[in-house]
Amino acid sequence: MSIAMRDLRWLVLPALLLTLLLVTLGQQARAQDATTGEATPGQEAAFAVPAVDADTWRQIRSGEIDANFRDSRADSTYNLINASGEGWRQIRDRWVSPFGAIAILGMLGVILVFYLVVGRQRLDEPRTGRKLLRWPVLDRALHWSVASLFILLGLTGLMLLYGKALLRPVFGDGAWAGLMTGTKTLHNYLGPLFAIMLLLVLARFLRHNLPRRHDLTWLRQGGGMVGKGHPDAGFANAGEKIWYWLLASVGLVVVISGLVLDFPNFNQARDTMQWANVIHALGALGLTAVALGHIYIGTIGTEGVLEGMTHGYVDESWAKQHHNLWYEEVRGRTDEAPPEETKHDAPSASRPPG
Amino acid sequence: MRLTRSSSTPRAGGLGISRRQFLKRSGATTGGLAAAGFMGTPMMRRVDAAEKTPYSDAPIETKRTVCSHCSVGCGVYAEVQEGVWTGQEPAFDHPINRGAHCAKGASLRQHGHSTRRLKYPMKLVDGEWQRLSWDQAIEEIGNRVLELTEQHGPDSVYWLGSAKFNNEQAYLLRKFAALAGTNNTDHQARICHSTTVAGVANTWGYGAMTNSLNDIQHSRAIMFIGSNPCEAHPVALQHILLAKERNQAEIIVVDPRFTRTAAKADHYVRLRPGSDVAFIWGLLWHIFENGWEDRDYIAQRVYGMDDVRSEVAAFPPEVVENITGVPEATMRDTARRLAENRPGCIVWCMGGTQHTTGNNNTRAYCILELALGNIGVSGGGANIFRGHDNVQGATDLGLMSHSLPGYYGLSEGAWRHWARVWDLDYDWLVGRFDPAEYADGKPMNASGITVSRWVDGVLEEEEAIAQRTRLKAMFYWGHAVNSQTRGPEMRRAMQQLEMMVVVDPYPTVAAVMHDRSDGVYLLPACTQFETTGSVTATNRSLQWRDRVIEPLFESKPDHEIMYLLARKLGFAEQLFKHIRVEGNEPLIEDITREFNRGMWTVGYTGQSPERLKAHQQNWHTFNFETLQAQGGPADGDYYGLPWPCWGTAELGHPGTPILYDTSKKVSEGGLTFRARFGIERDGVSLLADGSFSRGSELDDGYPEFTAAMLKDLGWWGDLTAQEQQAAEGQNWKTDLSGGIQRVAIAHECAPFGNAKARCNVWTFPDPIPKHREPLYTSRRDLVNDYPTWDDVASHYRLPTLYRSIQQKDVTGTYPIILTSGRLVEYEGGGEETRSMSWLAELQQQMFVEINPALANDLGVADGEMVWVEGAEGGRVRVQALVTPRVAREVVFMPFHFGGMFQGENLHDRYPEGSAPYVLGEAANTATTYGYDSVTQMQETKCTLCRIEKAG
Amino acid sequence: MATMKFMCDAERCIECNGCVTACKNANEVEWGIQRRRVVTLDDGEPGEVSISVACMHCDDAPCIAVCPTETLYQRDDGIVLHDKDLCIGCGYCLYACPFGAPQFPQQSAFGERGKMDKCTFCAGGPADSKEEEYAKYGANRIDEGKLPLCAEMCSTKALLAGDAQEIADIFRQRVVRRGHEDGGWSGNPRAAADSLAHDATRRG
Repeated sequence: MSIAMRDLRWLVLPALLLTLLLVTLGQQARAQDATTGEATPGQEAAFAVPAVDADTWRQIRSGEIDANFRDSRADSTYNLINASGEGWRQIRDRWVSPFGAIAILGMLGVILVFYLVVGRQRLDEPRTGRKLLRWPVLDRALHWSVASLFILLGLTGLMLLYGKALLRPVFGDGAWAGLMTGTKTLHNYLGPLFAIMLLLVLARFLRHNLPRRHDLTWLRQGGGMVGKGHPDAGFANAGEKIWYWLLASVGLVVVISGLVLDFPNFNQARDTMQWANVIHALGALGLTAVALGHIYIGTIGTEGVLEGMTHGYVDESWAKQHHNLWYEEVRGRTDEAPPEETKHDAPSASRPPG
Repeated sequence: MRLTRSSSTPRAGGLGISRRQFLKRSGATTGGLAAAGFMGTPMMRRVDAAEKTPYSDAPIETKRTVCSHCSVGCGVYAEVQEGVWTGQEPAFDHPINRGAHCAKGASLRQHGHSTRRLKYPMKLVDGEWQRLSWDQAIEEIGNRVLELTEQHGPDSVYWLGSAKFNNEQAYLLRKFAALAGTNNTDHQARICHSTTVAGVANTWGYGAMTNSLNDIQHSRAIMFIGSNPCEAHPVALQHILLAKERNQAEIIVVDPRFTRTAAKADHYVRLRPGSDVAFIWGLLWHIFENGWEDRDYIAQRVYGMDDVRSEVAAFPPEVVENITGVPEATMRDTARRLAENRPGCIVWCMGGTQHTTGNNNTRAYCILELALGNIGVSGGGANIFRGHDNVQGATDLGLMSHSLPGYYGLSEGAWRHWARVWDLDYDWLVGRFDPAEYADGKPMNASGITVSRWVDGVLEEEEAIAQRTRLKAMFYWGHAVNSQTRGPEMRRAMQQLEMMVVVDPYPTVAAVMHDRSDGVYLLPACTQFETTGSVTATNRSLQWRDRVIEPLFESKPDHEIMYLLARKLGFAEQLFKHIRVEGNEPLIEDITREFNRGMWTVGYTGQSPERLKAHQQNWHTFNFETLQAQGGPADGDYYGLPWPCWGTAELGHPGTPILYDTSKKVSEGGLTFRARFGIERDGVSLLADGSFSRGSELDDGYPEFTAAMLKDLGWWGDLTAQEQQAAEGQNWKTDLSGGIQRVAIAHECAPFGNAKARCNVWTFPDPIPKHREPLYTSRRDLVNDYPTWDDVASHYRLPTLYRSIQQKDVTGTYPIILTSGRLVEYEGGGEETRSMSWLAELQQQMFVEINPALANDLGVADGEMVWVEGAEGGRVRVQALVTPRVAREVVFMPFHFGGMFQGENLHDRYPEGSAPYVLGEAANTATTYGYDSVTQMQETKCTLCRIEKAG
Repeated sequence: MATMKFMCDAERCIECNGCVTACKNANEVEWGIQRRRVVTLDDGEPGEVSISVACMHCDDAPCIAVCPTETLYQRDDGIVLHDKDLCIGCGYCLYACPFGAPQFPQQSAFGERGKMDKCTFCAGGPADSKEEEYAKYGANRIDEGKLPLCAEMCSTKALLAGDAQEIADIFRQRVVRRGHEDGGWSGNPRAAADSLAHDATRRG
């Protein structure tokens, strides 16, 4: 019980954030209600540019650029009206932001409920003390690189989206400016690095994540939550594979859209960047939500899993329980030489965050 | 109009630095301030000094000055702190612009911060620019001038002045040239409105805008022909649009291009370049056909309209359509609009004047207005918008090769008049000149070579030139050589000169296009914001400018440079006999007073410095519609005492806001047509018939006033004894006491008489304007019926070709008509404006406008580089701007660019740090031969070219 | 409280770019950034119309809504200002702005754009001293009781600036003088019926 209580404490912060966010979103929604209908960009333009005829006005509003459009700005590619700007704003503020909040907070809530109801998934059998090598050093290094970049990018990304509402009141002017500048700089410079690392990780882990027939069973049984006994799983179970393929699809989309945003020096159009931004945000928020699940399962959600990614070795009992096919495969391969035993526990200080 | 679709735009930082910063730095570094980092394309450079003018709490001094970028004459409040021009505020109380500015005026303050200026005297030695002291520069240049004068006579040195001078400097340079013993002096009016001045003055007396910009508010129809005020005179649009909004005035634009002005018009007519006379005759055909002419007006005030009728009869609609391309219905509609909306005015600019037939065009415009009875009435007029800020004043003050100040001409009488004003011995003056006689007569009395032709003055066979030798040295004193035609030949001429001296705030294209390695001097003159003086706006108003800041760098005011040179050349004592010189700077006010004493013909006599300054200090008292002061110290005066401001300043004449307006008394600014052309011709009286100005004691036409006439009229006794002594044997133009003018006006008579305007200028090659095809015409089928003139052996000292050029058919190789014009951001040759980052940023590319259909024919896409080759082989490499603005057979290039020559970038030939931000090919590299038969105006608006894609 | 607005009378705008350089003059904005620009539609064709635009100081400013840092904010008189110290150069204001008002001095890799710059209605911006304010934002003419220089210097008085109600009144008077409710002019083929100008005059 005391262990459970201690484990619960880390949920206080997310819960607090959730409350804050909901309050702020509510306020924002109210603020928008108050001004909506008062003045749209169209109305602003109608006031600012009277005395043009209907055809010109249609042209202005549509944002079209024909061959005989000129601008006193030498390098401008913009029409008078950025027709998609308002759309982007609406999508971002009315859909993307709430979606992200709901996804992330929802996931946190689900995790919380799950934890409270189901609790930590313990090892069915006691540890044997025999360890199997699951993650070699290179794999761990890659994983933690990507993981820490992901977390940093996630946090900075969330700051860019929600920071103004959530944290601005907390910090003073000076600190806020520095914080946000740092946030944006980190996000923009780490992004391309993340892209590289992600590609490496995806390449490295590909062989573990090719779909197998038993993955379907695994999924049907909810990874062992439904029905009796543990479904079959190889090195990676179906849940992990889904995570892998999410990263390989949505993750790449996020990376590409991020690069579009990060390198405006190629003169990509404003519209392109608007779309890239929406895609990037949606993808990243979705991944963040899923990642929370991944983190939960990989840490407190499952006993004996984290040590695999910290020390590289997992206990025989854990392997048998969660990755029976892999266990058998390894056993088969190592019949002659029984699984190595750990000489010592890794010092906890070396444990990476997460 | 603008090329905006450049994908990679180089950026140049920077606004330049303030004077204080400059002073601070120049102590540390003697070299160029703005060492350039090469940026991307060869067009653009970045300055490294990118700071803002610092904010200062120092007390603000507010100066009143006038924009120097065009002749509209916009007032400016310049705020100065500790000698730095830190602020510019709109002069809402200024009667002409009410605070408004175009791009150029709104960036005026940058003149006080320009880093691209010529910073100290320099000379070219073995292809490198060397810094000189002023003393050394004047010494070397002066010695060379003395040497050349000794060897080749005074006519071997050419003093090319500027419309950017103020009145005093323009007058002083003309006097300078006279005392140097030559008429080889001129300025940009020659290539701007010389055909206007000649044509209009010969029609009704004075060659200037008859009404004012403000008066345009009263017009009910405004026809722009060859004029694009939206770009060339943007602030004039304020008045034009008021007429449109308040009077529902008809705005008619006649132009080969659909200009920005056309976009604001009710009615646009596209005509073929060079067909103006035919177009006007086409209008008059309908006017006469429908009896829309003002018969009473013509009977009373116009001579020779019947001659016009018979000429016009040869221009029925189908002929006009064939020549101009304008269909009958449009012609009739245009004529009807003009006839039904009176008073109306006509506005023309370079589109009308810069033709071999320029004088015919301007006279045809005048005749149209006379037929409609529009001259001399409020809301009517021939509203000729001048170009440079003081082109009107510099013209009036005679900075021209064919006249002394005040249009006195070059006759002995004229010289004697000015010798009296200058208090110099006439015989001494005669002794300054080459006494020999040439084809045009004695050089003292023969028009000098014009600015448009100095190139031929250098290159022409010596025996064909009507002076002792070719030109050996050129002074480019505020001149943009790239505004002149025939670039490649100009480069040849420059190579042949023995000395070139550029006196200018900027190095100008003259400093870089010559391909010389020696014999070029650059002297830094300051801008008009670093000196003071009067400037004449297009409406003939004189405005006084305060000195805003002290001259930047080592530059000096032009009149000070004139003093230094005169001293070196040995005639400073005579030149400044009645002008005080403080230090080395002649006192501007004394110069004003001196020309006040001599400029009787055009009434530059009443505008004393004191009166002008009173007007300057009381902008707010002048009415925005009439320009008349309501109360205040200048009560009743018209703003700037628009000339003629008769008599002496003491007479207190209010100036003449509308020329030839008989509804006012002469003493209150009324006027009649000038009796300039005699009393009768072939037995027909030239004097007005039953028309006279209000209150006139002579209620019919009368000749110009002379001492004898006063005696005949019995008014001699009205003169004071002193005046009688001065006036004896004199006339209204030569009586230095002003008594004759005073008495004439006391009887409400115009001193210059009361005559008819004449449609028949019997002294011109075409007494009645004729349509003549351009020298380079694309319509070979019309050459037989409308040929140009025969070649002339000597005109302004040079052989001038017409027929021999037109005879050659080049349409096979050069099928496209090439015309040129202005952009709003730049002025003239553009060296000054292209050196101002705020403006340069707006137009970074030289271009050629090509109709989409022609572009498709040529296989050229928008934004591609093309070669435009003029009919004489000059080639320019420019960007294609595909636009329906021009017709399919016409292409257009703006003429403000320079610093590229036939594909070669001349950037590195500028003294370090003084190249403009934007360089480009000069349109005039591709323009061709062709000069007006009266004034030697150059042809820039209609030649032929071909276009091919550049690799 | 007045609500400050710009209004460009397109029938008077002649694309002289005076407003563009007037802005440079007042604020000394660096090369490449034009807080105010002039766009021309149908250039060179009958129907050519030019419009001067800058920040419209929108009532419900999209830039403020999307800015992640509160760089952008609105004063009580409706003027939208920006705090350069807070700007991180993310470019969101540029994506959102309907009028292309926000601009950045750079456009480099890793989203390095520098600090956003835009029209301040000649009202400067947050700074500790006048010197700093001028250096960062340019003139604060509003503080001196003056209007933006672009409008004050407009060559044809096409560009109006000031309290929305007042400038709407000025424009309404012009429309009346022109004799057309729609702001068109006599004989102008473009003056087809259009309720826009009418709307504009009603508003405020």
